[in-house]
Amino acid sequence: MATALIRNFSIIAHIDHGKSTLADRLLSLTGTMDAKKAVGQVLDSMDLEKERGITIKAHTVRLLYTARDGKEYTLNLIDTPGHVDFSYEVSRSLAACEGAVLIVDAAQGVEAQTLANFYLAADGGLEIVPVINKIDLPAADVEGTRHQITEILGLDGDEAIPISAKHGTNVVDVLEAIVARIPPPTGDPEAPLKALVFDSFYDSYQGVVVYVRLIDGRVRAGQRILLMSNGKVYEVQQAGVFSPDMRPVKELSAGQVGYLTAAIKRVADAKMGETITDALRPTAEPCPGYRDAKAMVFAGLYPIEDTDYEGLRDALEKLKLNDSAFSFEPETSLALGYGFRCGFLGMLHLEIVQERLEREFNLSLIVTAPSVRFKVLTTQGEVLEVDNPAKLPPPDKIERLEEPYVRGSVFVPTEFMTAIYKLAQDKRGEHRSLEYLGKRVHILFDFPLSEIVVDFYDKLKSVSKGYASFDYEFLEFRPSELVKLDILLNGDPVDALSVVVHRDKAYEKGKALTEKLRGVIPRQLYEVAIQAAIGSRVIARETVKAMGKNVTAKCYGGDITRKRKLLEKQKEGKKRMKQVGKVEVPQEAFLSVLKS
Amino acid sequence: MRPSGAALHLDLFERPAGCVRMLEGSGPATLWAPRGPALGVYVHVPFCVKRCGYCSFNTALYREAAVPRYLAALAREIDLAAGAPWAAAVPISTIFFGGGTPSLLTPPQLVSVLEHLRARLAVAPDAEITVECNPESVSPERLTGYRAAGVTRISLGVQSLDDRVLTSLDRAHSAAGARAAFETARRAGFDNVSTDLIYGLPGLDLATWETTVRGLLDWGPDHLSAYGLTLDEGSRWHATGMTGLPAEDTVTEQYRVLARRAAETGFEHYEISNYARPGRRSAHNQIYWRAEEYLALGPGACGFLGDTRYGNVKATERYCAMLEAGTLPIATHETLTARQRLAERLLLGLRLSEGVPDAWLAERVALEPGRLPALLDSWRERSLLVSGGGRSHLTETGFLLSDALFVELL
Repeated sequence: MATALIRNFSIIAHIDHGKSTLADRLLSLTGTMDAKKAVGQVLDSMDLEKERGITIKAHTVRLLYTARDGKEYTLNLIDTPGHVDFSYEVSRSLAACEGAVLIVDAAQGVEAQTLANFYLAADGGLEIVPVINKIDLPAADVEGTRHQITEILGLDGDEAIPISAKHGTNVVDVLEAIVARIPPPTGDPEAPLKALVFDSFYDSYQGVVVYVRLIDGRVRAGQRILLMSNGKVYEVQQAGVFSPDMRPVKELSAGQVGYLTAAIKRVADAKMGETITDALRPTAEPCPGYRDAKAMVFAGLYPIEDTDYEGLRDALEKLKLNDSAFSFEPETSLALGYGFRCGFLGMLHLEIVQERLEREFNLSLIVTAPSVRFKVLTTQGEVLEVDNPAKLPPPDKIERLEEPYVRGSVFVPTEFMTAIYKLAQDKRGEHRSLEYLGKRVHILFDFPLSEIVVDFYDKLKSVSKGYASFDYEFLEFRPSELVKLDILLNGDPVDALSVVVHRDKAYEKGKALTEKLRGVIPRQLYEVAIQAAIGSRVIARETVKAMGKNVTAKCYGGDITRKRKLLEKQKEGKKRMKQVGKVEVPQEAFLSVLKS
Repeated sequence: MRPSGAALHLDLFERPAGCVRMLEGSGPATLWAPRGPALGVYVHVPFCVKRCGYCSFNTALYREAAVPRYLAALAREIDLAAGAPWAAAVPISTIFFGGGTPSLLTPPQLVSVLEHLRARLAVAPDAEITVECNPESVSPERLTGYRAAGVTRISLGVQSLDDRVLTSLDRAHSAAGARAAFETARRAGFDNVSTDLIYGLPGLDLATWETTVRGLLDWGPDHLSAYGLTLDEGSRWHATGMTGLPAEDTVTEQYRVLARRAAETGFEHYEISNYARPGRRSAHNQIYWRAEEYLALGPGACGFLGDTRYGNVKATERYCAMLEAGTLPIATHETLTARQRLAERLLLGLRLSEGVPDAWLAERVALEPGRLPALLDSWRERSLLVSGGGRSHLTETGFLLSDALFVELL
């Protein structure tokens, strides 16, 4: 196929600006699927994605479009994840494209992820086609949005196409602009094979299905391929395209987008960003920009029932097959027994993994408070990386502690500025810059990552009545006045409840934590003292009173069954309790650490 | 008559797992054979003149005309039970008329039931035969009649000796009326009279409770059942919610006051909620606590035969209709596994002051130790559980916390 008739593109947008709706509209307009089917928003196919209305895993689909010039074009739409946790994935997907359709909501204007995604695309050298969506809304401000596109993004706002993806208005113009403005792929089909892996998923029949963009060369079934980052060699079993379901083709060649299967066992063996080449005639240079997706947030995952340990390990291994960004290794907790320390891209990623483990593998889990990775310089001069507060050396062995910082970008209407600054201050944010954009401002802060991983986004939304948008990127490690806050139950420290906090916040956090725990730890046969301590200094204390009575007065008329069933129900409830020393601690207790 | 939609909902949807809900007309043709040498009989008389707010039992509004139909159905049910091949050979050691309000039955009506039972089943000559009575339905004629019919024991629903409390309980009697009923029972020749009290009631303070307990013990009853109020599903108070409930500390103190006073008066605290003078323990109720077997008669009555626990249909109308059609009115039945039988023996037996053989606990621990050994040790350490002479039993404080242990023994 002539590459002149191929266009590889992504759609990028802030959340809820209409990416999936436009994608569906493009699919139905090009007859890739009929309009009725499009209702379900095909691209978001995981249950969790549909429930949360976000794209977790990237997808890709091939559209055939006969343009006004009479030629039939192959448009490869490469979808990108729509959450800040997954910006590396976005950048890899974009690397497979020559252009991107950038959607801006006509009523909302440019938001934080519009900007973040725009930068990713611009940095990747992509041709950007701005589109103003939702022009049918009463609150739509097309001219104002054009202005923002010009001012904030530095694109020509007048060129932006005003559309309504919902009603189909002007969507054909988007297809025409893709054909006219996004360059066709360049690449030499005769050169050695060079293909970029921009996604992959695990299929239990075919092994890993690798999404590839061919830069140079050709690939077909039977060919021996080499994965350049790890040196592994496989034989291609199938090459194909998505239209939108997987359909085998004889050959993929330079400029094309499609998939390969090659009996690859684990997604981690063919990671996003990997370069595939011909084993016999390898290309000289791999595609640039490959790196391991780096876990930013760490948490312990423990089975409530010790007997589920093996089951949890199997489940984690299965998830890992399909998720190379996720990592786990065995760890032991004095309080919780045997479990795993797991690394995640962010909180959303953590929640997704947890939900899948509970739903798909039917496991009852305790997730410990998420932590970032700290750098510790010991008095001995060693540098340690610690991702579990419990593993932090004692204070007298620590010369210096460093924590990861991110650059956070906030877009918010001016009326909420004060609230945002107040929130940023609470979260130890350092103001970097402020830019007025009409009725809105764009503020940059440096935040300790630990302050924004948990509930920052919710708080941001709540103080701005939902108007603020946020994005962040990793900056650097910086020295910080951090202390380890321990929680003791009846005098025994519970390692899984330890958190690392800034010294100035330790008292407040200790108080909040003990109060929260008092609310969730049920009354036991004896009094339970809950203490928060820094080293040996107790800074907060709460008490759970001993149980006074727990008795069934009567089993009237010999209705023993009712009594037994009531107890059985209680026993079910108890399964979600973990015995920590002599104290029964419910699953929520460990989560409460994050929310207080 | 169901008291509320909530209770009906429970009936339809909360059927416990493992329980077989019978389809219409598909009940067993004959009753399961018992394992043990003797049986108790529980007869449920569902009628009440009105339903009390705290009550979650199966009741039906009393209409004089409804009783004959119920009695005919009951007779039919006795016939069907007696049709079991084992029936003639197994002696009946106790009969308990519970309700509802069994004392709404006239002496001739009660006589007819007892005579039928004696005619069709092997009722032992010395069987304990108890009738629950509401004070306001007690008259000398009625109790003399009951005595003549062979009733050996009266259980009187006193509930309180404070008229303000009695009114709030929707009870139709006064403290004086309860006292009069007790004396009536004595005069009718009953030397075994039990009284019921409820504590933990809304607005019931410690002083009022203590007065009630002292007053009642002064009567010289033979047996005392005292239940801490629970707002059970199916009661109006559960459905509407209840305010003014005393603090937990007050309720446990009421329990302790009662236990103390009863002990001082020579009562044995032989079961969590039951006290008796020596030799006056309820033989029928001990069948329940010892996980022995009993036959169910009447709407909503529960029975235990062999390894099977079963329950009759609750609605009186439906109960009658099924028996008129010649089928056993069984709504649910469940065959217990060995593990469930053991659990029941433990959690029922530990309700008694005599406790359970240590061997039963050992058997349970062997099945699935988990944290049970440590838990039992901590119960012993805290003097909630006492072991000695090959048996283990709960202490007065242990009784109060018993469900926390029972849940672990399942």
